[in-house]
Amino acid sequence: MTEADKRVNLDQLDHDSCRSWDYSQDFCVTCGICSSMCPVSGIDDFDPRKLVRMISLGMENEAVDSRWPWICTMCGKCEASCPMEIKISSIVRKIRSLRERDEVPGILHKGLETALKTGNNLGLPKEDFEFILEDVAEEIAEEPSFENFTVEIDKKGANILTTIHNKLVNTHTDDLKHWWKIFHAAGEDWTVPSENWEGTNWGLFTGDDEAMKKMSGRIVDHMKNLGAKNLLWPE
Amino acid sequence: MKYIKEERIKIDKSKITKLAAYHDPCNYGRKAQMLFGHGYFQEPRWIMDQCAEEWVDLYPMEMNQTCCGGGGGTLTTGNDEERVYYGRKKIDQIKASGAEMIVVPCHSCHGQLNNIKKEHGFEELEVKYLWEIVADALILK
Ligand code: SF4
Ligand code: SF4
Repeated sequence: MTEADKRVNLDQLDHDSCRSWDYSQDFCVTCGICSSMCPVSGIDDFDPRKLVRMISLGMENEAVDSRWPWICTMCGKCEASCPMEIKISSIVRKIRSLRERDEVPGILHKGLETALKTGNNLGLPKEDFEFILEDVAEEIAEEPSFENFTVEIDKKGANILTTIHNKLVNTHTDDLKHWWKIFHAAGEDWTVPSENWEGTNWGLFTGDDEAMKKMSGRIVDHMKNLGAKNLLWPE
Repeated sequence: MKYIKEERIKIDKSKITKLAAYHDPCNYGRKAQMLFGHGYFQEPRWIMDQCAEEWVDLYPMEMNQTCCGGGGGTLTTGNDEERVYYGRKKIDQIKASGAEMIVVPCHSCHGQLNNIKKEHGFEELEVKYLWEIVADALILK
């Protein structure tokens, strides 16, 4: 970066641009407590106080283009200690939501798009999904005390319906077994939906409220259609 | 929790032999407390009590807990260097607690801690889901 680049671009100082945001950003007293709490303060010159001040000043475009909101984990540690109760992690999520969707880093938006289209982040077809579940169930049934273990997919009227994290039918199938074993030991009446089973909701991370609603709506639909009484949504 | 209280499942504490520590995920703890008025701090600790003879808390914990660094989708954004650096504090806390096993109820924390432990010189750390230690400690009929 040259010295000229480092200079603040005064065209960006548009007090009106973030006026309507109601995260209390204008109450910031620049005390810096948030910055001292944040585990990634200093990376790439980031710290939460700077971001809050940028939004207060109306430097919306610069914030949206920056990597900062994507380095932050929205952990809320800054926010929990802010004396002015500024909603810092909500500011971060709002800035993320303003990124062009194609410019969302990594696989977050692509995974979400796939999930909206196919029902899960991997685009895994129904037959393959069922095959994996049944395969894991057979492995469990080979263990002592689990001889008659089975997984009943799309069972109506079950007491518990559970969603699945995509990594558990991808690289971490062994981690499906823990809950299933507990269900078995407790004599639980449970089921898994064969479609739209994705438990993660990446709209939370990309700031996409519409997508989040759609993903959650699907789970509500399952509960209704399958008449399940309780939901286990560990993601 | 209900299963254990109603004795629908039985737990053998002696099956967990390593010293475990519990990590509060941001979303189940601090953020739930801020957004919904209830952070899940006591419930997982009660389960820990049922499953292990002895376990420890990290410092700081609950509302002041430090994030593992894998939240907010950072495991998938490709900013890996920053993410690994972020997690140094968590690994330091686990080391300071003397635990050989870290128990988490969150998929992101689980993935992150397994992913960064080697880089921060703690390859032998065992990362477990909260429901995994329940499954591990089950008394089977
Ligand atoms: S802790 Fe709150 S008031 Fe203090 S600098 Fe950070 S945002 Fe501003
Ligand atoms: S929410 Fe973001 S800015 Fe705040 S402490 Fe966590 S990582 Fe830092």
